Amino acid sequence: MDDLTKEFIAESQEGLDRMERCLTELETRPDDGAALVGEIFRAVHTIKGTTGFLGFDRLEKLAHAGEHLLGSLRDGKLAVTSELISGLLRLMDGLRSILVLIEETGGEGTRAGDEDGELIAELAMLNGSAAPAPADALHPVSAVVEIAAATPVVEASGNTSAATHAGASSAASANDKTLRIDVDVLNRMMNLVGELVLTRNQMLQSGMEAANFPELARRLDSVTADLRETVMQARMQPVGNLFDRFPRMVRDLARTCGRDVRIEFSGQETGLDKSLLEAIKDPLTHAVRNAVDHGIEAPSERVLAGKPAEGCLKLRAFHQSGSVVIEVADDGAGISMERVLAKAVERNLVTVEQAAAMSEREVLQLIFLPGFSTAAAVTTVSGRGVGMDVVRANVEKVGGSVELESKVGLGTTLRLRVPLTLAIVPSLVVQSGGQNFAVPQSALVELVDIPLRELAEVSQKMGSSEVYRLREHLLPMVWLDRLLGMEGASRETPKGYYLAVLEADGCRFGLVVDDLMPPEEIVVKPLSTVLREIGLFSGATVLGNGTLALILDIAATAARAGVKPIEETHEVVIADATAQAATDVSFLIFEDRARERTALPLNVVERIETVPLAQIEYAGGRALLQYRGELLPLTDDGNVLADLEGIPSGGEDAVATVLICGNAGEAGRRTRMGMVVRRVLDVSTGAVLDQNEATGEMELALVKEKLTVVHRDFGTKAAAAWKEVA
Amino acid sequence: MKLIGREETERVQDENDVVSLCSMFAGGESFGIDTRKIREVLGKRELQRVPLAPSMIGGVVPYRGEVLTTVNFRALLGMESYSGAGCVLVLDDDEDGERFGLAVDEVGGVVTVNRSALEANPTTLEARCKWLFDGAYKMQTGLMVQLDPRKLRPSRLTETGLFRQGTNGRDA
Repeated sequence: MDDLTKEFIAESQEGLDRMERCLTELETRPDDGAALVGEIFRAVHTIKGTTGFLGFDRLEKLAHAGEHLLGSLRDGKLAVTSELISGLLRLMDGLRSILVLIEETGGEGTRAGDEDGELIAELAMLNGSAAPAPADALHPVSAVVEIAAATPVVEASGNTSAATHAGASSAASANDKTLRIDVDVLNRMMNLVGELVLTRNQMLQSGMEAANFPELARRLDSVTADLRETVMQARMQPVGNLFDRFPRMVRDLARTCGRDVRIEFSGQETGLDKSLLEAIKDPLTHAVRNAVDHGIEAPSERVLAGKPAEGCLKLRAFHQSGSVVIEVADDGAGISMERVLAKAVERNLVTVEQAAAMSEREVLQLIFLPGFSTAAAVTTVSGRGVGMDVVRANVEKVGGSVELESKVGLGTTLRLRVPLTLAIVPSLVVQSGGQNFAVPQSALVELVDIPLRELAEVSQKMGSSEVYRLREHLLPMVWLDRLLGMEGASRETPKGYYLAVLEADGCRFGLVVDDLMPPEEIVVKPLSTVLREIGLFSGATVLGNGTLALILDIAATAARAGVKPIEETHEVVIADATAQAATDVSFLIFEDRARERTALPLNVVERIETVPLAQIEYAGGRALLQYRGELLPLTDDGNVLADLEGIPSGGEDAVATVLICGNAGEAGRRTRMGMVVRRVLDVSTGAVLDQNEATGEMELALVKEKLTVVHRDFGTKAAAAWKEVA
Repeated sequence: MKLIGREETERVQDENDVVSLCSMFAGGESFGIDTRKIREVLGKRELQRVPLAPSMIGGVVPYRGEVLTTVNFRALLGMESYSGAGCVLVLDDDEDGERFGLAVDEVGGVVTVNRSALEANPTTLEARCKWLFDGAYKMQTGLMVQLDPRKLRPSRLTETGLFRQGTNGRDA
């Protein structure tokens, strides 16, 4: 195939993708469709124009018929109807299948033209039937066509969708290997590589002892960081590329299943690594299909249940703590626990006794078991079912996780959580038995410091296993050095231990380590087969200090230590809701004004950071902190910053403790702010005593029998402050 | 022109019966590996131990953006572990591209020997050594045992099952 044809195919496929998007959009809002119709018209017109001189008659003929119809639509002679859209979608399928044929064989098949005759006739019929009687002579013809076309069309819808799938998959296979990159990005990359070479040359020439060596090292550092970011950026694709295929799919599915479904998107611009995007394509398709097929009920049922006849499917993509979450939420019937259990018992996946003792969360986990899902289960269980084990396996293969949440009568939400990129993982580095290990930050829930003298108090024996009392919950303790058979290798007199509370696969446990190192963004290197077989390490990495660290596979560690999933997550979900209502709330207690204890509800505190004073900047008399690409306004009620700067010895090394607080603001956006505090004291539960009207947003609480001022409503305050800054 | 041609044929002849080995030492014995199979000699390196790995795996070392699994040669022979930091050689197998390290006590120099001088393993050799050794060359200082890098590959070593006598640490 010559380059011209290749280019034509790629271009046409893009045009058709655009057309698909526009068509489904056109159907939802036919009134302001002029621009959309124009777009579709251009796509078809371009194909027609190019085919002419490439000599693809069949394609040209079909495109011409389509163009004709679109022309009428553009001129306003036709109204947008669902039949019209269907016809145009079939035109698109037809064009696409010919393109696939050309791509595979180099030719467009037979040139007799009669395979497309039906479709062309249908398009003509659509054009003719709506046009106000162009000529009497035409009428009988279109009537005949109507009869001839009407029957096969219904049957054909199955075929065409099969054809589109085949088409889509082969198109995807060609797309897998190529990537469109903005020339700007490529130029920037090239510049950076040039810079890298120059820096290297300078370093080689000047040598280690040279006076400007530190400066060169810094330059190398920044160039590397820039280069990495640029390469990552080049690999990033908006999730929207993946979402684009769904409107059409949902439309077709909804028609075959007799559903009325509206699809909503948000966060299409969220970027995700190309390889990951490919990896989650199938699981996501599966999830969407399930949602339409089994999640959303038939319109009549919905009306009976008091819901609008039109079901809503929401696809959301957003960043959350270093990973991208893609959410498929429907407002359908939800998953009936009883039926899932009945099915699981029937399939001998669990015994009746086990089933009776299961928590809601465990029941939902059953759906992910291989063998749960068969065609029969799908139709009888009013939830999701088809191959959910495959969905989970695929997502976990790329280091992601799947969560399922369902409320009977209200709907089901499936969350696919995938890392931003495969290669670089933010990790916590821990030390145990004299060795470093990296723990992916995504698995980390919290860190607890256990001084040696408190060890006996907080860890308790239950039979042979040790548990830690973490805020009135018992957490199994796993000693990393014991698990790895490295006892005795650790240093002589430990000052204490750290407990990393980790969660993976629904298992929560505390990993006891000797020491913590600063967190690093690590580059994952694969291990050889022999070491992979150990099963505990997912890879290795070279740390900043040049030493190697093994990356712990948290799920495998939990399994090795015998930690079983526990029913804790649903309690966490509820916790957010109850925290507001219940009088007993967990607080983070700190000191901001001198000698005054202040607290914040724990659920609003995201992180506690120590920030060098030099990093805090001022604008308009307000302290600001650049934090992870965001500009955080800082509140400093106790004038801590001024006090810190007043300390002469502190100099530039002085650090301030900043609580990073987040609160779900309006429209679901998290508003963040920083709070400068003197020192963090404790985490504890306490009872809210009394709302103090005088202080406005403050309340008093009794925490550990001491009076404590509680900040409330700080979210609105932050938003207000933010506005002022902006 | 003729001269060059003759030189080349001589060299080819040489290559056929002369082989250059890199000598190395472990526990007082000397061993040799064909230099063409050695990618690089890293020198003294501290190995990063891998808990729960088979005992013949000495650990891992970083090597040109890769994490190299390194075979502890002393452990293969059932010797006590070396007191100091061992020397690490990077061996490369063209066949399936598995690259791995080999840790020995010391690396000597390159020795050129005549292929025909290779003596077969004695029949009394124990099974493990018989599998590892490829015969020996008689040198002035003693015997130099020839090793075949292909047989030292970590995956091959585990396949044979000859070296599965426990792990680096106790299993939890």
